[in-house]
Amino acid sequence: MNIEKYTDSIKACRFCFMCRHLSAIGNVTFTEADTPRVRASMIYGVTMYPERLTEPDLISTMYRSDLSGCCRRNCVNHYDEVGITLAYRADLVDAGAAPANIKAIAAELKKTPAWTVSGSGKAVYVADDYSVESGAAAAFLKLAGKVKVVKGGSCGKGLWVLGFRKDAKALAKKFVEVLESTKADTVVVSHTGIFDLLVNTLPEMGLKLKAKVMHSSEYLAGIKTSKKIGNVYYLESDFLRNYNDDYAFPKTVLKANGAKLKAFGTNDEESYSCAEGALVLDKIEPELVEKLAKYIEARADNPAKDVIAVASPYTKIQLKKYTSLNVKTIEELLAAAR
Amino acid sequence: MLVKENNYMYEMIRTELTDILGDQFVGVKDADLFGHSVDYYWIPEMWHDRGMETPKPDFICHPSTTEEVAKIMKIANQYKIPVVPWGGGSGSQGGALPVYGGIIMDMKRMNKFYGVDKESLTVRCQTGIIAKHLEWNCNKEGYSTMHLPASISCATIGGFLAHRGTGVLSTKYGKIEDMVMSLEVVTPTGEIIRTLPVPRHASGPDLTMLFLGSEGTLGIITEVTLKVHPQPEAREFRAYIFKDFHTAMSAGAELMRSRLQPCAIRLYDETETKTHVRKVFGMELQQGAYLVFGFDGRKDIVACQMRYAREIMEDKYHGQDLGSKGGDLWWENKYKFFYPPFMFHIPQAFGTLDTVATFTNIEKVYYAMKKVVNENFPQARFIGHFSHWYEWGCMLYARFIFEGKDVPKDPREAAALYNRVWDLAIRAAIANGGVINEHHGVGLKLGRYMKDLYGSAMPVLEGIKKQLDPNNIMNPGKMGFKGI
Repeated sequence: MNIEKYTDSIKACRFCFMCRHLSAIGNVTFTEADTPRVRASMIYGVTMYPERLTEPDLISTMYRSDLSGCCRRNCVNHYDEVGITLAYRADLVDAGAAPANIKAIAAELKKTPAWTVSGSGKAVYVADDYSVESGAAAAFLKLAGKVKVVKGGSCGKGLWVLGFRKDAKALAKKFVEVLESTKADTVVVSHTGIFDLLVNTLPEMGLKLKAKVMHSSEYLAGIKTSKKIGNVYYLESDFLRNYNDDYAFPKTVLKANGAKLKAFGTNDEESYSCAEGALVLDKIEPELVEKLAKYIEARADNPAKDVIAVASPYTKIQLKKYTSLNVKTIEELLAAAR
Repeated sequence: MLVKENNYMYEMIRTELTDILGDQFVGVKDADLFGHSVDYYWIPEMWHDRGMETPKPDFICHPSTTEEVAKIMKIANQYKIPVVPWGGGSGSQGGALPVYGGIIMDMKRMNKFYGVDKESLTVRCQTGIIAKHLEWNCNKEGYSTMHLPASISCATIGGFLAHRGTGVLSTKYGKIEDMVMSLEVVTPTGEIIRTLPVPRHASGPDLTMLFLGSEGTLGIITEVTLKVHPQPEAREFRAYIFKDFHTAMSAGAELMRSRLQPCAIRLYDETETKTHVRKVFGMELQQGAYLVFGFDGRKDIVACQMRYAREIMEDKYHGQDLGSKGGDLWWENKYKFFYPPFMFHIPQAFGTLDTVATFTNIEKVYYAMKKVVNENFPQARFIGHFSHWYEWGCMLYARFIFEGKDVPKDPREAAALYNRVWDLAIRAAIANGGVINEHHGVGLKLGRYMKDLYGSAMPVLEGIKKQLDPNNIMNPGKMGFKGI
C-alpha cells in the first residue's frame, strides 16, 4: 500500500497537535476530523485494520482535506501529512473503492481534448483553462513577447491529487511529449498546480522534462513597468510557498515594480488560497471552498478597497466567485502598470 | 449516554439539538466521533495504538453563541446527558474525554475576537478561539496576551481557562488566572452568568476564580476578558551552567527573592541538561545544571535588571556564563521539543509529573519523586526541569520515560504500569508539600488524588459541584468528582 511509505509521518502526526491552527478546512468546519492529527490517526487505524480503508466517513474526510502543506512547512521535522492523504487516496483508487462523486470528477478530467501548439519563441507558455479564465494568460502574453503557447489539454495533476495515479501518469506523459515537441528551452506556467506537477510530481511519476520550468512571475522578473503598482496584499500560493520552498518570485517581481506589499490578515503562516493544493475541491465540496473564501474575505483590512494579489489563477477564480474582494493575478497587475 | 443509537429516543434528542444548531453543527459521523475520543493523554493514545476502541461521544455540538450553549445545557439536563466541553483537545490529563459518551460541546466555532480596549489594555473574545489566533489578532494591534505556552497553536483560550494553564512568560505575566478580568459562564443548568468586571474588589468571594480550573465540571466558560500588554521594547535572555542542580536552584530562588522580576526562568536538572538541552538546543553540556532566565520591557530597565541578575549568578553562585547566545537558543527553540520526533512518543510510555511547591519544599519534592521512580521502576528514566517560578517557589516539570521494550504490549497491563508510576510519584510529592498540579490540570488522570490533596476540604468542593450541577451532567468522573 502507498500509505506504508508514510509510516514515519503517520506515527509522528497521529498524536501531534502542533499545526492545528493552520488547518484551513478545520478552521472553517471546526471539526477535529479535519486536522492532520485525526487524519493521521485514522490512517494509522487503516494500517492495523486494512478493511477500514473504505469506511465512508474516512473517505469523505480524506477527500475534503485542503492539502495546503502549511502543516508540513510549520513542522520542525516537516512530516508529510499531505503525502499521507495523497497516498491514502491512491490506495483507495487502487482498491477500486473510489466513491461515485470522485469517479465522476476523474472521468471528466480524463475526457481531455488534445493539446494545441501555436506561436514561436524559445519559451513555451501553458495557457490552461484556469489561467485563461482568471485573466493571467492574456496578461502574461501581453508582457512576454514572443513565446509559443500550449493550450487545450490536461496535465494529469488533478487526477494525481484524486488518487488516479496511472491515469494521471498517462496524461502527464502526453503533456511532457507535447512540451518536448515544442523544442522550447523554458516552460512557463501561471497555474501553480501545473508548476508543482512539472517540478515535483513528474519525478515521482518517473517522468522527466528537459526544459527549465518557471512560474510566470520568474519569467517576468526582469520586467520594468512604467507605473508603480502601489499598495498590494499578496496572498501566498500554497504550491509555491509550501510545496516549493518559499518560491519567492511573485513577491520579488511585485516589489521590483513598485508594489508596497502589505501584510494580509493577522499572520503569514495560514493558507489563504481556497484549497489550491486540493486542486479540485471546488468540484468535490464547493460549499467548503465558499467557506474558505469567506474566511479570507473576513480577514481583509478593507474588503471593498484592498487590492489582493495572487500567484494562483485558481485562487483568484474562487475568490471572485464567492467574495467581493478585488483580486488580481500578478500578471494582471504587471500588465496594468506597464 | 443512557440512550443507545438504535433507540428512537436518540433521534428525538438529535432533532432537538439540530433544531438549535442546524444539522451541520451536530456531528455524528464516525470520523468526527473518533476525533474526539483521543486527546493528548497517554492512556487513550496507547489504547488507540493497541487497536482498542476508545470511548466516543454520541453527539458533537458546535455552538456559535452563548445562548446556543445555554439551550443545549437545558436539553442535556432534561435528559440527563453528560456534557463534556472540548476546546483544542490537546490536554494531557484526559479532561476532555467523553468517557461516558453523551455530548461533546466543541467550542471552536465560538471564536469571535471583539478587539482590544486600548485604554484599559484588555481584550474580549469567545473562548473557542485558538490561542494562537487570539495572539495574532492582538499582535496585529500591537499587543500580546503574553500567554505563550507550547500548546498555543492547538489549544483554545477556553481550554487554558478550564485548567489554569500557564505560558513561558508566566514568571512576570502570571498564569492564565492572573490574566483574567472577567468571565461569562453557562452553568450546568443552562443559566448565563457574568462574573464581576474587574478582578480586584471587596465584593464577596471571587466567582471568577471558582470557574477557573474547574475543567468543565462546574459550567462552560463562553467568553472572557483578558489583560493584554504592549510588545516590549527589549527581551533578553542569558544562560548559566552550575556545578549541580542544588546550586542552580539556589541561584534561581535568589533571583526570585531579589524581586528583579524576570519574565522567565528555567532550570534543567543534571540528567535533562545532558540529554534535552543537547538534543533540542544543540548545546554540548556534559555536566552540571543549565539555568536560563530573561527580562523584558524598556531597554534601559532590562539592561539594569540583567546586570543585577548576573551579579547573583556569577558572584554569589559562581555560575559559568553561557552568555546571551546560550539563553537565546532556549527562547528560539522553546517549542521545538513538543514537535515530533523530539517529543516522547509511543511506543514509549511517558508522563509529566507536574508539581508545584515552595522553595522550602521543592527540592524535597523533586528528590522524593525521583527516589520512588528510580527504586520502583529501575527501567524508567526520571528527568526534571523547573519551568514556572513565583516569588515563593516554582513548578517541577518532572518526567518519567519507559522505552518501548519496557512497556507491556497488553493495553491493560500497560495502563496498570502507567497508573502505578503516577500513584507512587504523586503521593510522594503530596507527602512532601507538593501540590498537583501546576498547569496541566487534573482531568481523568489525577482525579483519584484529589481527596489526598484536599483532605477535609474535598467535601466543600463536592458541595459546590452538587449545588451547581444537581444532575451531575457536567464532565462527570473528572477532577475527582463522581462519575455516572
